[in-house]
Amino acid sequence: MLLQQIVNGIVVGSVYALTAMGATLVYGIMRILDISNAGAYAIGAYVSFFFLLQTGSPIVALVMGVTLTAAFGFLVQKFLYAPLMNKSPNVSLIAGIGLFIFLQDFLRLVAGPQARELNFGKLLPSIQFPEIGLTLYGAWFLILGATTVLLLILWLLLNRSPIGLAWRATAQDLEIAKAMGINTNRVVAFNFILGYGFAAVAGILVGILYNSVYPTMGDVPAYKMLAVIVLGGLGNPLGTVLAALVIGMAETLIGGYVGFFLPRDAIAFVVLILILLWRPQGLLGRRRTS
Amino acid sequence: MKNKLTLSMLVMVLVFGLIVAGCGAGGDKKPAAENKAPIKIGFFAPVTGPAAADGDSVTKAAKLAVEKINKTGGINGRQVELVAYDDNLKPQEAVSIAQKLTTKDGVVAAVSGSYSHTTRAAAPIFENAKIPMIAAYALHPDITKGGDYVFRQSFVGTAQGKAGGYVAVDMLKAKTVAILNVDNDFGTTLADSFTQYVESKGGKIVSRDKFTMVEKEFNPVLTKIKQLKPDLIYMPTYSGTGAQIARQAKELNLNIQMLGTEGIDSTMEFLKVSGPTADGIIITTNLNRESKLKATQEFIKDYTAFAGFAPDMVAASTYDCFMVLAESMRKNGVEPDKIKDGIYKIKDFEAATGLIKGYNKLGEVTKNVQVQIVKNGAFTYYGEISDPAIITPPDK
Repeated sequence: MLLQQIVNGIVVGSVYALTAMGATLVYGIMRILDISNAGAYAIGAYVSFFFLLQTGSPIVALVMGVTLTAAFGFLVQKFLYAPLMNKSPNVSLIAGIGLFIFLQDFLRLVAGPQARELNFGKLLPSIQFPEIGLTLYGAWFLILGATTVLLLILWLLLNRSPIGLAWRATAQDLEIAKAMGINTNRVVAFNFILGYGFAAVAGILVGILYNSVYPTMGDVPAYKMLAVIVLGGLGNPLGTVLAALVIGMAETLIGGYVGFFLPRDAIAFVVLILILLWRPQGLLGRRRTS
Repeated sequence: MKNKLTLSMLVMVLVFGLIVAGCGAGGDKKPAAENKAPIKIGFFAPVTGPAAADGDSVTKAAKLAVEKINKTGGINGRQVELVAYDDNLKPQEAVSIAQKLTTKDGVVAAVSGSYSHTTRAAAPIFENAKIPMIAAYALHPDITKGGDYVFRQSFVGTAQGKAGGYVAVDMLKAKTVAILNVDNDFGTTLADSFTQYVESKGGKIVSRDKFTMVEKEFNPVLTKIKQLKPDLIYMPTYSGTGAQIARQAKELNLNIQMLGTEGIDSTMEFLKVSGPTADGIIITTNLNRESKLKATQEFIKDYTAFAGFAPDMVAASTYDCFMVLAESMRKNGVEPDKIKDGIYKIKDFEAATGLIKGYNKLGEVTKNVQVQIVKNGAFTYYGEISDPAIITPPDK
């Protein structure tokens, strides 16, 4: 039972980490909470669903879902956020929320309001360990594997590559990075492509895990993502992963041992508030000294 | 400068006031009923928002019903016109829609194709305006308590909860039950009355967990229930959550009989998403797919052709509201008061959701509760509850 619940918690946490990573990357550089990233999560799942219906090939569905959503991220940055860059961050925030609402209703009108099944077939079999009471779903291996690989790639990209250096410089101070000859426009565009690509992967994997895609699937990530980002210390990728695991584990263990006395999302936010009372800067955030 | 500003604001307020007054005056001019103008019936449903799938199902049912009424001669020669709105599953929207329908649109009756919390907010407005409203499938007991003009087409929650208890204890012989309910009017009402019945028969509720209607992850709580080894899981919830419970219970090898309600009576969202994992799940509902009634079979055929998918409980209930209104208008007249009186007079009326035995003084319908089981990806007959002790709705 405990073992099962811990595995449940890690899986839930991994899903949150993937979901919040896109918005964390965007926040890290732009200092805007990009709510429309949760719209990209639904877009990714739907594009994938569409290509699965058309071609029947999971690989094509996965690749097209991620690629087209990443391209969409580029367009969002170029035509929505870039023109608003010099305005107050509130303007970008509201524009992002507007885009998110638009995307949900766009999907509803184009694809219909019903939840549709995202059936990639039996990719991997479930494994049972009856003697210790543990069940591992096939889809879980996919999620844990994808999360580990993608986060590893992200870590290498940010810490061991010239792009990462430019990214970190831009995240620290956009103006100074620009003065140092870094093409910040490119860094920002790349950041959005990566951020929306992550959102698409998360949306597709969650679609596979629950065998359903529906227009409002971005609703919960839209606010859960904020909890994870804030708890992680705003724009710190490592903090986001840690916060996602903490929230996933807390929800699962409290839900499993005490019961769902509160809806699960409420449990997550109670945990968020308690941790923020103890560490207002988030788990890995640095306290502002000025 | 400041004076100018005050003045212009004053003018704006005045103009606005005039516009509002104008609207009010326009709204008072209700069309006289003696002509051949179409008869307007109001309708609202959650076409957008988290229940958009149900909104879509019921809107199609409403359109089909109106088409059907008009094709079969209308109401003594007059056509029926649907005035439909989207409430976004928000009570504040439902309130303003009810106000619009009763003051401006000139409808003679209305149908709620929406959930309990929205219908509950709108009901008093119809009552005050003395315009009859039928709630298609909203099941909170308070909806009909406001007065004479509000009716219900599906079982009140307390009756369906009791029927669920009957299936659990008397038909399936369960002694211990775990409850998983969606945390709103729907889930709470059903779980409460289910608990009452089961405990009165000596059964035991071993756990009760609740969740929001957008929840997707049930592994933590199902793992907990697995340890408790109940005979049955009762899950008053909707398709999205119900399908995940079915899937995850199967993956966890739970092997516990599951009992759902009309909330998962959905061919698209529940049966397709849960796939083969839904096999063996039993539900209480009001649509018997194998009914011998002509009205039921005709509805299933027409709806499938019209909508492109097989009908669910919400569609059938909504369709029946319009048929009941049409019956009342044909027999008793088309003024709101007469429609209301006509509904109370209905006895043994054949509808898509079975034989309507009549409406009690609260406006609650009496009809048999259907018990269906999922077999090979479709809902099929399992039983029918006609015991008056179970299905008779409360009249106060």
